[in-house]
Amino acid sequence: MENRQTTSALLIVGHGSTVNPDSSAPTLAYAAEIRRRHFFVDVACAFWKEEPSLRDARFFFDDSAIKEVYVVPNFISEGYFTQTVIPRELELGGRITNRGNGQTWKYCEPVGNDSEMTELLLKRAKEIAPEAPAGSTTLIIAAHGTDLNENSAGAAKREAEKIRKLDRYAAVLNLYMEEPPLITHWMKLTDTKNVVVVPFFISDGLHSYEDIPVMLGIAKKRSALNLSAAARDEIFRQNPYKIGNRSLYYASAIGTEPQLADIIIKQVARFDCGSEGSLPTS
Amino acid sequence: MPDSIERALAAALTDACYFGQILIRKAGENGFVLCHRDDQGFDGLRLFQNPEDAIEISKFDDIENYRPLKTAPNLSRGWQLAVVDLSDLRRALDYFYPGRLAALVAWKENRLKTTPLRQTLDRQSGMYRIAAKISDAQINSLVGDFCRSDGGCLRAILWKRNESGIIPSTKLPPEKFEPAHDQALGPGPTTAAIAVIPLLCQEACNLLVAAARKVVKGE
Ligand code: SF4
Repeated sequence: MENRQTTSALLIVGHGSTVNPDSSAPTLAYAAEIRRRHFFVDVACAFWKEEPSLRDARFFFDDSAIKEVYVVPNFISEGYFTQTVIPRELELGGRITNRGNGQTWKYCEPVGNDSEMTELLLKRAKEIAPEAPAGSTTLIIAAHGTDLNENSAGAAKREAEKIRKLDRYAAVLNLYMEEPPLITHWMKLTDTKNVVVVPFFISDGLHSYEDIPVMLGIAKKRSALNLSAAARDEIFRQNPYKIGNRSLYYASAIGTEPQLADIIIKQVARFDCGSEGSLPTS
Repeated sequence: MPDSIERALAAALTDACYFGQILIRKAGENGFVLCHRDDQGFDGLRLFQNPEDAIEISKFDDIENYRPLKTAPNLSRGWQLAVVDLSDLRRALDYFYPGRLAALVAWKENRLKTTPLRQTLDRQSGMYRIAAKISDAQINSLVGDFCRSDGGCLRAILWKRNESGIIPSTKLPPEKFEPAHDQALGPGPTTAAIAVIPLLCQEACNLLVAAARKVVKGE
């Protein structure tokens, strides 16, 4: 992939939140990291529920040197946001939009579609349970499900199928908060000594701090968003949780992996290749 | 090479100026020092030196509540951020007041498109579609309350209520629609002692749309 330092800009789109202070943090951090690599003329973020808004982003990148703007949704899957909200708010006509100012805006795939998500899930699972032999461990990919906005269930299922084929873990399950197979039933659905749970979300929030831990039986309802950041993170630091004769390991949201910055850049390469592109060297 | 935003920022900066609740002062040859405008001259401020620190400084108010609207007049106090140059200043200001510099530059260059509130509401889908059902009278009081500079939001409103150009709310003072007015000063014709870089609102934010939805649903 050619160096885009002189003519391309990058817009990373996140969901953001009006209640969760941690929602936009990964997206902002990836933007700062990619900016440090000087790979694009400009790197900016925009959010649906935070500032700057997607509407604001229409006024970014007015530098005449910028010929293309790559828009990468930092979302776990395709869905309502990637298909309806983002194109509408940014006034995108499709994959390629030519603006009146001569700029071309290129709408890339969401990061969750990238094949490297599988690697990330495996890496995260290994990191939080280094001592648990995969052969006696069940890996659970925990997603939202029944989600009008994102097809998170489908994406988690796809990842689980890919990891199952690798034949590393005793079992690989895709469980959901709001549709069967339910996370709450994890004890019945698993029979290994070790169980590793990775939340398939783009940022940590109420779901990963509280809802899923409550469903797993490792936390009580406690309005986690009112706690300090350190107190919220405690839930990820007490591994393994001993429940009966089981050891349960619980990870933070997959979207907080620093490697996501590479995956964001990769979506730009993929756009230009029309397929899986190779990672640029920076 | 500085981009157009940095160039415009450099042109707008005086030795000391206000940007919302922030006081920006030139320091040394290239640097700048930022603090809450009410903390000017205070000792014992917590010192920061990285533009990225602005993310955390602006995340919570003084009583640790999350700030979903960065232009709300509840920026925390007690900090001072020193940045080394114009590019880091721009970065920090983009974290404090996201997107506001780009809007300002577009406005100065006559590129800033404003969107009437009715159009913003009519565009919504999903759970926000219902917000379009809000009546004109409800808009008048909602905007008058939600966007007011004392306790709501420090941006100067540039959008109209509808395409015939009706002002969004008769409950807001005329200076709420005036970019040159220092919104943090409160109502009245008073002008700030030092230069002010305006915070502009070219289109209703998602929070106002969400509030309109609540009004319609009677929540
Ligand atoms: S609509 Fe504009 S002025 Fe009103 S609260 Fe939102 S950002 Fe502020």
